Amino acid sequence: MRSVRQRPGRFLATLLSAFLGAAVVMTFGSLHDTAARPGVDAVSRETLSTTAGVVGGYGTLLVFFAVASTLTVNVRQRAAELELLRCSGATPAQIGRMVVGEAVAVALAGSAAAIGPSVLGGRALLAVFQDNGQVARSVEHSFGTVALLSGARITLPAAAGAALLAVRRTTRTGRRCSGARRFLAGAALLAGAAATVSTFAFSATDPALMALPAYGAISLSVGLALLASPLLKGVLNGLPLSGASGWLAVRNLRERTGHLAGILMSLVLFTAVATATLTLQAVESDAVRASGAVKSADAKNLETLNVTVVGIIVVFVCVMLVNSLYAATAHRTREFGQQRLAGATPGQVLGTVGTEHLILTVTGVVLGTVAALAGIVPFTVVRTDGVLPHQAAGIWLGVVAVAAAVTLGTSLLTARRVLRVPAVGAVAVAA
Amino acid sequence: MRTMSRAGSRHAYDRGPAQEALRLVKVAKTYGTDGSAVTALDGVTLGLGRGTFTAVMGPSGSGKSTLLQCAAGLERPDSGVVRLDGTELTGGSEAELTRFRRGRVGFVFQQYNLLETLTVAQNTVLPLKLAGRRVDRRRAREILTAVGLGDRLGHRPAQLSGGQRQRVAIARALVTEPRVIFADEPTGALDTRSAREVLRLLREAVRVHGRTVVMVTHDPVAASWADSVLFLADGRLAGRLDAPTADAVAERLAHLGDDVTAGV
Ligand SMILES: Nc1ncnc2c1ncn2[C@@H]1O[C@H](COP(=O)(O)OP(=O)(O)OP(=O)(O)O)[C@@H](O)[C@H]1O
Ligand SMILES: [Mg+2]
Repeated sequence: MRSVRQRPGRFLATLLSAFLGAAVVMTFGSLHDTAARPGVDAVSRETLSTTAGVVGGYGTLLVFFAVASTLTVNVRQRAAELELLRCSGATPAQIGRMVVGEAVAVALAGSAAAIGPSVLGGRALLAVFQDNGQVARSVEHSFGTVALLSGARITLPAAAGAALLAVRRTTRTGRRCSGARRFLAGAALLAGAAATVSTFAFSATDPALMALPAYGAISLSVGLALLASPLLKGVLNGLPLSGASGWLAVRNLRERTGHLAGILMSLVLFTAVATATLTLQAVESDAVRASGAVKSADAKNLETLNVTVVGIIVVFVCVMLVNSLYAATAHRTREFGQQRLAGATPGQVLGTVGTEHLILTVTGVVLGTVAALAGIVPFTVVRTDGVLPHQAAGIWLGVVAVAAAVTLGTSLLTARRVLRVPAVGAVAVAA
Repeated sequence: MRTMSRAGSRHAYDRGPAQEALRLVKVAKTYGTDGSAVTALDGVTLGLGRGTFTAVMGPSGSGKSTLLQCAAGLERPDSGVVRLDGTELTGGSEAELTRFRRGRVGFVFQQYNLLETLTVAQNTVLPLKLAGRRVDRRRAREILTAVGLGDRLGHRPAQLSGGQRQRVAIARALVTEPRVIFADEPTGALDTRSAREVLRLLREAVRVHGRTVVMVTHDPVAASWADSVLFLADGRLAGRLDAPTADAVAERLAHLGDDVTAGV
């Protein structure tokens, strides 16, 4: 615990991810609490529970992996420090208790800090429902045990699990736990495939139809993200990059695939979630419009609401991506210093960072797109007559543009800041 | 006198090596501010001829590493003039300084500073790659074999012992065939035999290839390989010994120690 107090800056990224994750989950969780209040009419209860259940379902999965991936980046960076502790006589169990304890403490702090914002967020969400006329005006917002538990239920296991895995990796040098990883990936892929395929079992007008392909796409993206490292290695072997920066970038990526797994995961998740949910919503809206539904005002409100919800999720993943990119790049002060002392100009260091992240972006976007299509195609087939909706291309282009801008922007700006430290001082920074 | 900006590219303005490889005039460097300020260099003036082998000695914290880094253009002194290979290192962006150093300066760091993601062979040729120069793998292998690492080309720094990493760092400094080689305790982590090999390589760079070597060491035997020894105490030059023998160096160091203790 002392180490948390002494270096608050190091835990900021973890704290931020736990905070944001808990805020999103608890905001939707509080809708359950609100629905459970006595005196809420059946229609209002139905709306609140459905939203909380559907969004809570895939939102929870998303938050879990986003928090876990950020934490993995952070804990992995401490490998050197943990190794030092191990050499100075700490047993693996002691180190494990320390790191997991820290992660849990930070996750708790983040979740606690998120209570206030989630109360406000939940109220705002309820107000949108009430403005739409889907929930009675008389219903009052409530933030209770379900919301509280939903936050802790996600951030604590994600934090503890990620910390435990990272510790195991450092204390058992040499051995890899790729078995567990492959099992998780397989499970996620299976669940995702099952969800997308079962979309076909629903009728075109089922209100829960959208949830399945969305959940499926996210599950598939988690599975693909877990398998991204070997795929990335394959890409790297086929890259004919010349020039010092490209040469260095390929070698760095090849050696650091483990460290980059978190970033790649966020990228895959972002591409898949944003493309899939936005496209699904666009298709749904068009289908409603085409059916000539009379309550066009209501449909429009509903669309606004759905876009708001999807927006929250997409922005969350985007912030997570920035968060893990910043943490991963800021940690490379020493490495950049060594490159500069070996004769790299600051421009060459930036060139290397840019190339690395361009390769990451392309890999992440390709995997994310595959997962998104797996969700989009079944939904479009069931809901409309087509296979690929016409909106998909535009949304996809927008998502890719944001992913590339965020990835390259964050890493290059962070690297430029890191490069302000003189090279000799940079290599003196404790690893 | 040539200036940094003009001499940025070696090929365009190369007029052959200058007679004086290194000149420092009243170079001072202070770390930290106010209360915690440490004067690492306190007005050091010295000149080293081309093709000389110089050892720098002094107690821990006397400013030896700082001296080397200022002389090599890795640190900017607070005041004073550094002239390297006939060119004054003033102003200029980091990129300009870096381009200037390439091919002129080789540096063996006390902490090695090898890149963890690169193999032994890749670390060695990295300066050539970064300078956009042709990579002569055969030559790189020759140098690595000479430092006794011919069978470790594919290893990563993490798989090497401290002494082996130090030898990779030495190979990396030699591979660009620089005019001036700075080596910060290049034999600090080596056994007697490896140390002798490294010293032989450095002396060969001076005698056969006409390079200039400046080497920090705590070992009187290593210092005795040099043409002369400069003594440093509290950031100031505290004497010089030409054609040193190990005994003479040890003797002088002992007295230097007395002086420093007396001065505190
Ligand atoms: N980056 C830095 N920041 C603050 N102080 C520094 C820094 N680098 C060196 N110093 C201080 O400057 C002084 C000289 O340091 P330097 O590394 O040059 O010593 P040295 O002679 O090489 O010692 P050693 O033999 O132990 O390597 C020391 O007092 C040291 O604490
Ligand atoms: Mg030193």
